[in-house]
Amino acid sequence: MNAPQGGAGGSALTGGPETGRDALVHRALLYGSRWELLLSAVAYLRAGRHAGETVVAIVRPPLSVELRERCGPETAIEFIDAAKWFGGPARALAALHDRARDDWWPKGSLRLLAEPVWDGRTPLETREWLRHECLLNVVFAGTPTTIMCAYDAAALPRHVLDGAARTHPELAGPDGTTASERFTDPARFYAECDAAPLPAPPETARRTVFAAGGLPSLRTVLTAEATRHGLPGDRALQFVLAVNEVATGIVRDGGGRGALRVWAADGELICDVTDPGRVLTVRYPGHLPPERQDGDVALWAVRRLCHIVEIRSGAWGTQVRMRVKLG
Amino acid sequence: MTTGQVRESGDPSSAVGDMRFGDHLCLVYVNDAERRAVLAAFLDAGLRTGDALVYLVDDEPPEAAAERLRDRFGAALGDGRLIVAPTAGTDLGTVIESALARGHPGVRVTAEASPSLRGWPGTERFTAFEDAVHRAVDSGGRAMALCQYDRRWFVGDHLCEIDARHGGRARADAVFDDGVLTIVPLFAPPGLRLSGAIDESTLPALVTALRGVDPRAAHICLDLSRLDFCDLGGLRALIRANETSSVIGRQVILRSIPGCMDMMMRAAGWDTVPGIVAEAAP
Repeated sequence: MNAPQGGAGGSALTGGPETGRDALVHRALLYGSRWELLLSAVAYLRAGRHAGETVVAIVRPPLSVELRERCGPETAIEFIDAAKWFGGPARALAALHDRARDDWWPKGSLRLLAEPVWDGRTPLETREWLRHECLLNVVFAGTPTTIMCAYDAAALPRHVLDGAARTHPELAGPDGTTASERFTDPARFYAECDAAPLPAPPETARRTVFAAGGLPSLRTVLTAEATRHGLPGDRALQFVLAVNEVATGIVRDGGGRGALRVWAADGELICDVTDPGRVLTVRYPGHLPPERQDGDVALWAVRRLCHIVEIRSGAWGTQVRMRVKLG
Repeated sequence: MTTGQVRESGDPSSAVGDMRFGDHLCLVYVNDAERRAVLAAFLDAGLRTGDALVYLVDDEPPEAAAERLRDRFGAALGDGRLIVAPTAGTDLGTVIESALARGHPGVRVTAEASPSLRGWPGTERFTAFEDAVHRAVDSGGRAMALCQYDRRWFVGDHLCEIDARHGGRARADAVFDDGVLTIVPLFAPPGLRLSGAIDESTLPALVTALRGVDPRAAHICLDLSRLDFCDLGGLRALIRANETSSVIGRQVILRSIPGCMDMMMRAAGWDTVPGIVAEAAP
């Protein structure tokens, strides 16, 4: 399979290389007041309808109610609940890609309004959601997509607003839309997210090693640990599928043998799998759709099966930390 | 009747390769492919261990049956290890005794079922024949019998009667079984039943087994109801099972997809692959 069908056609629609701009528009709306948000959002959505685009709003209920009122019931806008949509960063990225490929791009251009969720996020989750913003530039590059992400400039912490400026090529505010001067090359931003080494697992973590032929017993250990820590059946299965897949990659394509540690902390079941025999060289591992030539279907699936997956790789080998929520 | 057959849980049949002396099982086959597979395994095992083979027929002359068997068992027919005899007038006990006297360690008997001559299941003639086979096999413990019944001839009551007169049904041997994954061939529809786990260790066996499924079959059915685990590589092999054939438009029917596979298909974005008919578990 090649790039999504809408790709080439979309470039032609929104201007080829001569405009100096990619078909993808990814813009942060930094609003100072609710009124400003509504004004900008309504104008943005209406413009999409007038242009005959498929218009989707992934926003929280208060905003969706207000937008529905102002845009009128006759405008065909698909509303999606942001609280449900933005559950896990890799899942949200994959879901957006799949919906766009299957439902939205076949009809033409997509215009998306998103209201990312930042409250209640741990520092790790905040970093991963900013990575999600960064990845939209990579995954949706060359597609007929316009995305505007709403950021509350008055209420959100400085590092989130900084992140918005660095992950969106365009910024929209009261004075109109400008190019973001601080926009950072996605590969660089992505690498910064992985700059710090992962904290060491606790001494109490269950440790085991594995090699070819040893995955049935590895799965027995994982299932037992999932049960012991109270992970419900369906999610235990997802956890075992994810870890087994990473272990399979090591047995088949990596160093052949690996080590595993599993423990629970802060409402999560966490599993570290290390491969001393392989350096991971692919870019954005598991974050690119599998139909792309540079996509890795196994890691893509692993990321989708987990809440958050952290990967570190260097001359010492590769470490994959998979997290699933216990609650 | 012997009821001590070791059987796979939930499966009323046992593998023909697990048959032991003293067993009197029936082969209720759905088509010739199944009949050939089970019968060949039964006879081949006997040739390997030096057993005498007795093939009883009653709706055709023994010579005609021997002719059909000659392709595969010509040598055994030639040197007397395989004897084809009519059911009528053959005293099984005597045949077994004389074979043992010739020095064979055991005797394997198989009988072709023909309702017209031997009587339909439930009739006295049928019962008398099966009881005779049973006695011959039961005494001495050095013989076993496999009675062949064409499933297409019989209705429910007949099958109950057939089952009641045998220690169980024999099915084809697993083409693979390493304790992690068991692969059993299916005949109608053609395909495989997979039990256990598909992972990096069992994937090569699965690929081999998929290649072994009749390449001319229009569609193949993979029974996954007993599959506990399947990784992405296994899923890929199952989905691509239709690529190994030259049949245009072949469908791979994935029957009773377990939850873990469903989960993985969605995670990998493979839930919309053409040529796959995914049937949910009942």
